[in-house]
Amino acid sequence: MYAMTSKTTRRTAVCALAACAVLIAGAAQAQNALDDITKSKTIKIAIPTDFPPYGFVGADMAPQGLDVDMAKFVAAKLNAKVELVPVTTANRIPYLQTKKVDLVISTLGKNPEREKVVDFTIAYSPFFIAVFAPKAAAVKAAEDLAGKSIAVTRGSVDDQELTKVAPATAEIRRFEDNNATISAFLAGQTQLVATSAQVASTIMQKNSSLGLEYKFLLKDSPNFIGVAKGEDALRTRVNEIVAEARKSGEIDRLCKKWLGREAGDLPI
Amino acid sequence: MVEFTLWDILRNLALAARWTVVLSLIAFLGGGVVGAALLVLRLSPSRIGRALVEGYVELFQGTPLLVQLFLAYFGIALLGLNTSAWTAATLALTLYTSAFLVEIWRGCVEAVPRGQWEAGTSLALSFSENLRYVVLPQALTIAIAPTVGFLVQVIKGTALASVIGFVELTKAGSMVTNATFRPFVVYSCVGLFYFVLCYPISLVAKNLERKLHAAHR
Amino acid sequence: MTVELDFGAVLASWPLLLVGVAWTLGLTAVSAVLGVLTGIAFAWARSEGPVLLQTVVGAYVELIRNTPFIVQLFFIFFGLPAAGFRLSPEVASVIAMVVNLSAYATEIVRAGIEATPRGQREAAISLALSPTQTFVYVVTPPALARIWPALVSQIIIVMLGSAVCGQISVPELTFATSLIQSRNFRSFEAFIIVAAIYLVLAFTVRRLLRWAGPRFVFGR
Repeated sequence: MYAMTSKTTRRTAVCALAACAVLIAGAAQAQNALDDITKSKTIKIAIPTDFPPYGFVGADMAPQGLDVDMAKFVAAKLNAKVELVPVTTANRIPYLQTKKVDLVISTLGKNPEREKVVDFTIAYSPFFIAVFAPKAAAVKAAEDLAGKSIAVTRGSVDDQELTKVAPATAEIRRFEDNNATISAFLAGQTQLVATSAQVASTIMQKNSSLGLEYKFLLKDSPNFIGVAKGEDALRTRVNEIVAEARKSGEIDRLCKKWLGREAGDLPI
Repeated sequence: MVEFTLWDILRNLALAARWTVVLSLIAFLGGGVVGAALLVLRLSPSRIGRALVEGYVELFQGTPLLVQLFLAYFGIALLGLNTSAWTAATLALTLYTSAFLVEIWRGCVEAVPRGQWEAGTSLALSFSENLRYVVLPQALTIAIAPTVGFLVQVIKGTALASVIGFVELTKAGSMVTNATFRPFVVYSCVGLFYFVLCYPISLVAKNLERKLHAAHR
Repeated sequence: MTVELDFGAVLASWPLLLVGVAWTLGLTAVSAVLGVLTGIAFAWARSEGPVLLQTVVGAYVELIRNTPFIVQLFFIFFGLPAAGFRLSPEVASVIAMVVNLSAYATEIVRAGIEATPRGQREAAISLALSPTQTFVYVVTPPALARIWPALVSQIIIVMLGSAVCGQISVPELTFATSLIQSRNFRSFEAFIIVAAIYLVLAFTVRRLLRWAGPRFVFGR
């Protein structure tokens, strides 16, 4: 499940290390994840804790937010007790690849690179990636990023989109997790920040003195639930749950509660 | 969102500090056991054994603990074993600790005069008897102070477990920072917590060392 | 479950790794020079300075040695801006490394100084050297020679510790690895490779410093 087809061009580079390449036949994981969940009545779901309003902690350090509610909702539909596993943006995918969790409900956007290593269900919530800065900063489009410093979380779709459009002279500062990205921006370590519109609006509420404003959209990148490759039974079941929730208005209710708006058009 | 008072900050950090303490103790004890086993191998007449331990020490002292943690975290899972942040942190810190303790202890054993070994051998003691009855008891007295001192390094080392998502003092600090947007206060408190944990141990180590020196003079 | 390791996917990003190595070595070189110099100055302050200075430096040494490097780094980078000091990630990293190394170097150098026989110092003073001259020319060189291995080990520890600086976006070696890993999801291979690179770096830097010490630092 960890195998990624290596291209012939890479093959040459591998040569030196070919001797080191090993095949490890691990413990057989014969039964599928859905059976495990049904049997053990527990499900491990990766959620963010550094990304309000999707996932954050209150004064009691208990996780809350849209993704946390979504995780609880899916678990309830599967008749399983949920075990919430806090992850960061950068380690979400490895968690799934190494089966530390059954599902990732952690503002996971879809892109071709990720589709090679994990599977996705249908989308469950909207996510707009945009660039934000104080009002004083004259930034209207990607070209204006030239010569400016921008904080972004490493390994996120935000990072990828920003890297794609930013001019060469833009100084992209990649941080380990959203905690660090937001802290660095708020501390004034970078002039701009590229992140979710909803996250930025939460920051604006808490720090109105910053005069933070929306500059331009990087990508409309809705959130999907991540499933490990090959767990088709689980994926099908979760797809049913999400589709039903989208129809019944449950998803809209969650979005209203946490994002202050309805889910809008979500892709399959 | 919820408002955090200074009391909330301190309370949450204190709760998380428990895990720092637990993780430190596990790593220290685990590292001690593994380190002791390695020490025997290191002192044994077997050349392969010695070379193995030297390689082991080189490996763990020559790479960042952070990288070791990442490897334990993502590497073991590839072998089909399920690792939580707990197991990965425990494993990486135990191995790391053992690599340092075995070197510290080897130094202590070597501080025991060569003549003691020879005296033991001349009494027809075997390697293990010699080690057990003659050399180790003497080395032990010398070893206490630096061993206690190393506990401080272990406690500080656990701070890196935050990076693989283990919620201990440092991780709690960054989480609270993001909920409060008061990094100056939060990280000052985090630093203070570590100081409160480590400084008394440093003092004890220093006193032990002083006593030992006085006794040897 | 069969796992196929693909080191090539990681090595294909060798330019990033190379930049990472350069940053790691650069950070280490700058902090080693500044950290050791500060350490020597503080060692002087602690053993020969005025009482007040001795206390202040003593508190500094204890504070730094009893808190983790990552917390020191986060405090400098995230905390200090609130107090009006804004530093780039790279500058914050160098400061954190210098602060950290200097505290340990202070204690190491001090141990070396205290082991210098009194007679040497008295001889220097009888030759009408000033106390500063005595410290710089008579006391320090043999002290450094004595503690050089310990100092080199501490510099290696600081170099390995700089892996943490990637957390605040400094493009050093571990950051490069994490970046590669977050693009191709080859986490295990990436960290195996970086561990090997660090081993080579640690070995080489140790050799280099052991060799350079007697020739350039405290040689005669």
